[in-house]
Amino acid sequence: MKRKLRGATVLALGLGTVLLATGCSAGGGGSSSDGKVTMTMWQNSTTGPGQAFWKKTVADFEKTHKNITIKVQSIQNEDLDGKLQTALNSGSAPDIFLQRGGGKMKAMVEAGQVLAIDDLITSDTKSAVGKGAFSAEQIDGKTYAMPVDVLPEGIYYSKDLFAQAGIADTPKTIEELNGAVDKLKAAGIAPIAVGAKDAWPAAHWFYNFALRACSEKTLNEAAATLKFDDPCWVKAGEDVAALNKTEPFNPGFLTTSAQQGAGSSAGLIANHKAAMELMGAWDPGVIASLTPDKKPLPDLGWFPFPTVAGGKGDPAAIMGGVDGYSCSAKAPKEACGEFLNYIVTQPVQEEYYKAFNAPPVNTAAQAIVTESYLKSVIAAYQDAPYVSQYLDTNYGQNVGNALNTGVVDLLAGKGSASDILKGVKEAAAKG
Amino acid sequence: MSTTTYRLPKSTDRRRRDANGQRVPINWGHPITYFIALLFVSVSIAPVLYIVLGGFRTNSEITVDPAGFPLQWQFGNYADVLKSPTFWQQFGNSAIAGLATTIGVVVLGLMVSFVLARYSFRGRGAIYSLFAAGLMFPITVAITPLYILVKDLGLVNNLAGVILPQIAFALPTTVIILVPFLKAIPDEIEEAASIDGASRLGFFFRMVVPLAVPGVVTVGILAFIGSWNSYILPLFILSDQANYTLPLGVQAFSSQYSVDTARVLAFTSLSMIPALIFFTIFERRIVGGLTGAVKG
Amino acid sequence: MTNSLGEKTLAEQRSPEGLSVAGGGTRRVSPPAGVRPVRRSKRWGQRFEIAVLSGPAIIVFLTFVILPVGLAAYYGFYRWKGYGVPTDFVGFGNYALIFADKAFHEVLAHNAVILVLSLVLQGPLAIVLALLLNQKIRGRSIIRVLIFVPYVISEVIVGTGWSLMLQTNGAVNGLLENLGLGALKTDWLSDPNVAIWSLMLIISWKYIGFAVILFLAGLQSIPEELFEAAAIDGASYWQIQRRITLPLLGPTIRIWAFLSIIGSLQLFDLVYIIWGQYVASTAGTSTMATYMVGQGRNAGNYGYGNAVAVVIFIISLTIALIYQRFVLRRDTAGALTEGHK
Repeated sequence: MKRKLRGATVLALGLGTVLLATGCSAGGGGSSSDGKVTMTMWQNSTTGPGQAFWKKTVADFEKTHKNITIKVQSIQNEDLDGKLQTALNSGSAPDIFLQRGGGKMKAMVEAGQVLAIDDLITSDTKSAVGKGAFSAEQIDGKTYAMPVDVLPEGIYYSKDLFAQAGIADTPKTIEELNGAVDKLKAAGIAPIAVGAKDAWPAAHWFYNFALRACSEKTLNEAAATLKFDDPCWVKAGEDVAALNKTEPFNPGFLTTSAQQGAGSSAGLIANHKAAMELMGAWDPGVIASLTPDKKPLPDLGWFPFPTVAGGKGDPAAIMGGVDGYSCSAKAPKEACGEFLNYIVTQPVQEEYYKAFNAPPVNTAAQAIVTESYLKSVIAAYQDAPYVSQYLDTNYGQNVGNALNTGVVDLLAGKGSASDILKGVKEAAAKG
Repeated sequence: MSTTTYRLPKSTDRRRRDANGQRVPINWGHPITYFIALLFVSVSIAPVLYIVLGGFRTNSEITVDPAGFPLQWQFGNYADVLKSPTFWQQFGNSAIAGLATTIGVVVLGLMVSFVLARYSFRGRGAIYSLFAAGLMFPITVAITPLYILVKDLGLVNNLAGVILPQIAFALPTTVIILVPFLKAIPDEIEEAASIDGASRLGFFFRMVVPLAVPGVVTVGILAFIGSWNSYILPLFILSDQANYTLPLGVQAFSSQYSVDTARVLAFTSLSMIPALIFFTIFERRIVGGLTGAVKG
Repeated sequence: MTNSLGEKTLAEQRSPEGLSVAGGGTRRVSPPAGVRPVRRSKRWGQRFEIAVLSGPAIIVFLTFVILPVGLAAYYGFYRWKGYGVPTDFVGFGNYALIFADKAFHEVLAHNAVILVLSLVLQGPLAIVLALLLNQKIRGRSIIRVLIFVPYVISEVIVGTGWSLMLQTNGAVNGLLENLGLGALKTDWLSDPNVAIWSLMLIISWKYIGFAVILFLAGLQSIPEELFEAAAIDGASYWQIQRRITLPLLGPTIRIWAFLSIIGSLQLFDLVYIIWGQYVASTAGTSTMATYMVGQGRNAGNYGYGNAVAVVIFIISLTIALIYQRFVLRRDTAGALTEGHK
């Protein structure tokens, strides 16, 4: 009997040990003794040319670097930030990952989760990529990500639908935008598509109104202190409410996603179901993947966010993000650095532009951009007195989420402009 | 089911008869019963059928006529999913998690239930209440600190980090089902065994385990289905897509391929199949065990 | 005594009116007088056996169930990002924020609505259906299997499937269109006035089969003689149901209600899958659990999230204890309130 008991106990303990042992391999990359390095990479293109681009780029890189293997994972854009945060906090982070920058990057830096890559950047890279793009990925003078594109924000529109509604010129002021909305509604076209289900597309209207209403100094201060007491913030909220009152958005916008499927806001533009969308420069690529023939929309145009009277912000300022790729703190330094330098070389950047239809960061590659709308984007970016990062990125995950949700509530009629700021304050207190 | 003290003579007539053989009228005629039963069954099954049939259609069909039947049976969606290594990888992860959880629950649960049922010692009531109180700690409530604990144990992104908590959270139900089972084994058997020279443990292995098999099977099945369907725990613990279980996979797939509704439906319905098959085979045990637990 | 499926169960001893939950109700057969085990286990031997047999389960349970709740209480006193050691002690500050938060009031209201509606929508309907299905009709076992299917499918799959069906251009609206009821088409998921009902529809669909099966089992344990005697005495169908069936079904109903209440308080998977973390509050379907995940883990506020977990736990525990003491008291040797016999 005792033997049987012992047997059973040993079996149970053994089972448990086996479970723990087989599972215990950490998720990060590692180098084995023969010099082979394996790395994991998370990027946010789940379909189409974007995903294919990364597969090809990684394959090409592996050909010239025989001792490095990179496993690429495509994470749905909406899930990426949350999963990344969890993975970083639990020590099972990927080695290379998409970096949004701003406050989100700041949180990672403070937690010691990303590598400073200043000593890994080659001089060729430094000269190919403009200083401005690097500054978006720097904190206290140290660089934490390699920028791969510049994504200024503005309003993408369908030239055909504008012509159909009899709109001759692109709107320059908010009043002209309202006028355009009226004309489109009269022509039976949904004026503005917005993917409010994902919260951030709706919030971008608020960010741009804030860009017009608040001075650069106020925006930066808010990022540092997470206080939003300046009245310009309330004005921005009221501008959003005023716009919402004209009912410019596509029907059912509260459950429209931003990028997923033909029913998303990008899909509506792609299929000529809506005329305008406020988005960053990734949008043409997303729209291209949702058109019936999966090619870029031929009549796509772009104009910068209209000016709003009575604001303290510069009317030519532009909101824009920079997509970059970071190395996690546990990643193999040299291998990661080599990959990051590789992806900003001119040939790869030209492929990047072709795949994503977005302005590459490599200045030489920018020269081959042909689309008129991208040219306008790049010009506006270069002329802007200052570029602000997207506010939800700037202010970090916690406050950013609360800000986004507050704007959606406003659009749904559940809250006012001051409620947005109240929610932001409460979120700041929670974390 | 009737008791055995007094049985009416059974007639082939479905209408009930009283002691004199007179017909006792039933107010609900059979046709209405069948109709309502049919209605109920259709409502229960229709969404499932929608998911399964949707996988056999093309996306344009679904857009044009959302509620229709497949015009031509497309096998491509199902074939694609069955061919994809992701699906089988996630299937495998779910299977490993399910089996390990079940084994753990059965072994640990049986051992502790035996102690609670057949030994008498001072802490017994307290231990039993401890497990019963576990019913108040659903995994949804405990998930936030549990994630931190699992992280500190280094088991994040690891199936063991899912299996061990699942075993723990399945123990209350297991104990509550098994203790009455084991209690009901008459003492005479135990005494006869000890007279024959077996110790308590020998009694456990030789006699209790075989007698407890029905309860154990019920408990094991509940644990397996619970593990197969669990979502919030893997959501928190597993971050690498290679380690995903099927529920996570369904959600990731549906957001990644949201353009491709038909394929999403195919993936979803294939994920359902194992639980359904398992349930159909063991339906009696599951239903019987649940109701038995309720009845005590 | 046989169970609802005609099989003999080991849990045999059962008093006619008593349905007991937990393990407290079965009777032991006492040994014949005068016969005692010849060999008494030594005390320490017995203790060793107890320890070894119950040890693993207790350790696993304490580690993964009890300890986290204790940890939640501890972390809830801090503002904390989830890595390293918590350093920013705020005492009850998180709890003050929770109770002042308008969004939390909303989720409390939503959970209350879900709790009440689940009982009201599913209970009576399940009783009626169980009464109907209790008749000896052909195909009864197949029917029983089929109505239990929704319960077996995971909430993720239920959520994915239903969210596709309830989209504005999805199958439900399509079916209404096909049936000529196009006027009934609506925005099932995002209209705040409709969304909560859509949620209740899905919840009821998933769990009513479970209620029916439970009630069927309860019905089948009512001795048939009672019905026959009443029928002989001339009682009408409804009188029989009211005076005999429902009271005897009482314990089963009370237990089902308990399970339903606990489930309603913990609702997460369905809401999270269908509405996601952002839209749930706008659509009016957010629950305490989605609030906890959205404000805690997704926002990186682990101290706050833990405090919310503690609040949910206390709410569930209070309701459960009240329910056990006042409603189930008659039926059970309650595990928590009266201790173990």
